[in-house]
Amino acid sequence: MLKGKVSLDVTQLDNFEYDMSKCIKCKGCTWVDHIYMPGVTFSTRCPSATRYLFDSYGAYGKMRIGLAMLEGRLDYSDELLKILYACTLCGACDVGCKRNLDLEIELTLEALRIKAVKDGKGPMPQHKKVAQNISTKHNRFGSPHQNRNKWLPDNIKPAAKAEVLYFVGCSASYTSPEIAQATVKILNASGTPFMLMPDEWCCGNVLYSVGMIDEARELARRNIEAVKKTGAKTLLLSCAEGYRMWKVDYPKLLNISTEDLGFKVVHLVEFVDELIKKGALKLTKPVNLRLTYHDSCSLSRLSEPWVPWQGERGEWGMVSPTLERRRGTNGVYQPPRDILKAIPGVELVEMIRMRENAFCCGAGRGTKEAFPDFALWAAKHRLEEVKAVGVEAIVATCPWCKENFAQAVSQNGDKLKVFDISELILAAISG
Amino acid sequence: MAISKEAYKGLEAIVGAEYISADPVVCEGYRAGPGGYECGLGYERVMTKIPGCVIMPRTTEEVQKIVRLCNRYKVPFVPYSTGWYGPRSHCHVADELLIDLKRMNDFEIDENHLYAVVGPGVIYSQLQEEAMRRGMYIVIGGGGSQVSAIANMIGDGWSPLSYRVGLPHRRILGTELVLPDGELVLMGSLATQDDPFWGEGLGPDLRGLLRGFTGLRGCLGIVTKMAIKLLPFQPERLEPTGISPDTTLQLPTSRVKWINFTMPSKDAMRQAMFEMAKAEIGGGVTKVPIFWRAIAKARSKEEYWELWSQENEETISSFHLLRVLLIAFTSEEQMEYEEQVLMDIIKELGGEARRTRPSDESWFKNADSAGMWLMCGGYVSVDYVIETIEHAIPHGENYAKLKRNFTPPLMPDYGDPGWFQSFELGHQGYSEFLVYWDPDENTDGVDHFYLETSKENIRKRFYTSLLGPHQPLYLTGPAYGPNYHKWLLKVKDEFDPKFICHPPVPLAHDEFVERAEWMKPMKDWESPEIKPSP
Repeated sequence: MLKGKVSLDVTQLDNFEYDMSKCIKCKGCTWVDHIYMPGVTFSTRCPSATRYLFDSYGAYGKMRIGLAMLEGRLDYSDELLKILYACTLCGACDVGCKRNLDLEIELTLEALRIKAVKDGKGPMPQHKKVAQNISTKHNRFGSPHQNRNKWLPDNIKPAAKAEVLYFVGCSASYTSPEIAQATVKILNASGTPFMLMPDEWCCGNVLYSVGMIDEARELARRNIEAVKKTGAKTLLLSCAEGYRMWKVDYPKLLNISTEDLGFKVVHLVEFVDELIKKGALKLTKPVNLRLTYHDSCSLSRLSEPWVPWQGERGEWGMVSPTLERRRGTNGVYQPPRDILKAIPGVELVEMIRMRENAFCCGAGRGTKEAFPDFALWAAKHRLEEVKAVGVEAIVATCPWCKENFAQAVSQNGDKLKVFDISELILAAISG
Repeated sequence: MAISKEAYKGLEAIVGAEYISADPVVCEGYRAGPGGYECGLGYERVMTKIPGCVIMPRTTEEVQKIVRLCNRYKVPFVPYSTGWYGPRSHCHVADELLIDLKRMNDFEIDENHLYAVVGPGVIYSQLQEEAMRRGMYIVIGGGGSQVSAIANMIGDGWSPLSYRVGLPHRRILGTELVLPDGELVLMGSLATQDDPFWGEGLGPDLRGLLRGFTGLRGCLGIVTKMAIKLLPFQPERLEPTGISPDTTLQLPTSRVKWINFTMPSKDAMRQAMFEMAKAEIGGGVTKVPIFWRAIAKARSKEEYWELWSQENEETISSFHLLRVLLIAFTSEEQMEYEEQVLMDIIKELGGEARRTRPSDESWFKNADSAGMWLMCGGYVSVDYVIETIEHAIPHGENYAKLKRNFTPPLMPDYGDPGWFQSFELGHQGYSEFLVYWDPDENTDGVDHFYLETSKENIRKRFYTSLLGPHQPLYLTGPAYGPNYHKWLLKVKDEFDPKFICHPPVPLAHDEFVERAEWMKPMKDWESPEIKPSP
């Protein structure tokens, strides 16, 4: 809709006709913010445009292609699906565009995938397999549902009732149990009573990310209801992807605000940062490491709370009522850095591209499943940057990042250590 | 497939299958508009096509081979670096090959002799950071940090910092140019040796042909490598700070400082520019149009309009803001000296210093050209004049009067007379006239205004820089020549006898007027004979 009624509803692509038609090819979506431009190397932040090079893979190309889809000028093809799905939806483009133009790029890209699914052309075959796993086993891997809590150490006893509910997520439950184990040990060490979901199911991050909106909405309703039944006031996550799903995409799916969820959604780093600053948790055990921190996209630039909006677009493209744009400014950037700096022995070295300019690890939003080579390419590209700053370890706040980096390190034959931040926090808690 | 299978196979053999595509979806991604510089107007709608094929060479040799193959198979082509410059840098004819040069991003820098050698894939902010890291700088043209340095150097390439260092023409050093038939021309010192350190070489200097005042938009070949002169800077780092969208460079104020002055009149502003130049102080100077201030203050499009709607004819005509950049190239004492001299000049002219943020005001590393679309969604600079300040000021005032007849569809600006500044320490004056419109309304009036500015220049004898491919050549050529158009076409014919390199430029605007019904009533000049595209 160029003028007239408009909303942020991603199920209707025409809500983003204005945004698609106003892209000016400044490529702020692809380049690192020029103020922070580091020179001729590590100068881009869009994995898709950097890997595939054709303009069609950058947001500027996708906006033009999306408009052609909306106007019925393009037929679906393998190339079209690749352009839509070989993209990490990492939000770099959105933040870049909103540096100057305020176009809703991320929402447009989500809406394009939703349209592809509605039209019976999306998602990619690998995504359908994941959806089947989630439907039948309630986890994305297709692992037995009864194994979901196998990660829980014998000596840790979750409370039957507590204000804090730890939502573990599929990755930490099945493939990266060390993250879940570290998280509950940290909670224990800080004296924080916590409970687990009586019957945890997948959050549906992949479903929403690939455009399977009906399935994602159904899970959102089920999971929110389940949390409400527990009476939890705080939902704690150690997975950045899950954090974004609960904090941003669930409200988006249900057309409510994040604050209307009925409970607070926090990532482990926010929780721990607050504990440290209140003096409730002390990191005293030295961890002698020179390391760098990778901003997981869903914790950083994609994590601002959701507020539904609908209104009118009129003269000069102005909208009313006031639309508070999500520009990535208030992402969770500082807490993980403050935590790492609080660990004795840790030397934190920033990467060249950081915070809102960070280069995605490549794993999220359905990329790893459908385009594993691209996902690994992105991780290896990021590891080149890690090498350039000369550190022993990389730390992330998401199991998706950790797993993808670890695989890339292994393929490269590097000695770089890959950690989730929960592991370092735990290591720094004196016994 | 839009081009013949045989030609495609030949092109694929040059770059490899990964770097060529004729897929309609890939080609759609290279559409000029509907958004962007000059996009959404008639020229974009009538004159641009999506490419028939896109190819991404890596080396000059590959470019030569591609161009030769295009000549053999009569495939029209257009060079493309970042695609920023709106419809005029996109395909104009069906089944055209778009040569995307972004992979040609080689970069070398010679700190001792102050130049960098770049490929067309290198953008300004990259070059600026590499230069500043080594105590040097370049001028990022108004096109912005995101544009190809080469494309901008052979097109526009100026900013308020041009006050000190001048226009880009003479900062083009050794250059490599692939002609429309594939022949390689080495310009400047490259003509006789491998070192591109110098701009002049043997024989005629072809740099004028590369750009004239404002370039030929790729219709005379492809620049594949250029050595660009860098300038000595001060030693302190301009520190990046903030989180998007509020990112800025923190300036070391003992070395680099912007100061805004409220001046009592336009004449005082003009006089200040001359006095600064006479005293040889300052690193940059410009008049600040009032809407720049509104853009800088606004947190959103809606807030911009709230601020802008508070203005009126009176506030615009009495707004005289002069922005001066001081750079202490040699020492902190230079800053003290220049600031004192500047303050004396301003005091004598009745000006007053205003509060200025101690941060980047865009022009060093982030010429925020992209912000120009925030207000309306449509933007183009309809004219530039590079002549004298005495010439530049009435140019803007005339345009402001003319513009009233075309508002709407142009954005109401209460008679704002555009932007003027001093170039080359006062030896040249510059006027630029920017217009904005709502692209979702009827824009015929913007097309009319664009053309009418050409006629106004001829009527009032303003020395426009937008000749060549920016206006109907047969309208402007006889007026500025009297045979400018004939010479340009002779040159084009000599270098591109098959008319294969970005056709129908430089006759594209002539063709637009012929093809757009709403433009025909304005046509009162002789029609050119437009060569058929290959």
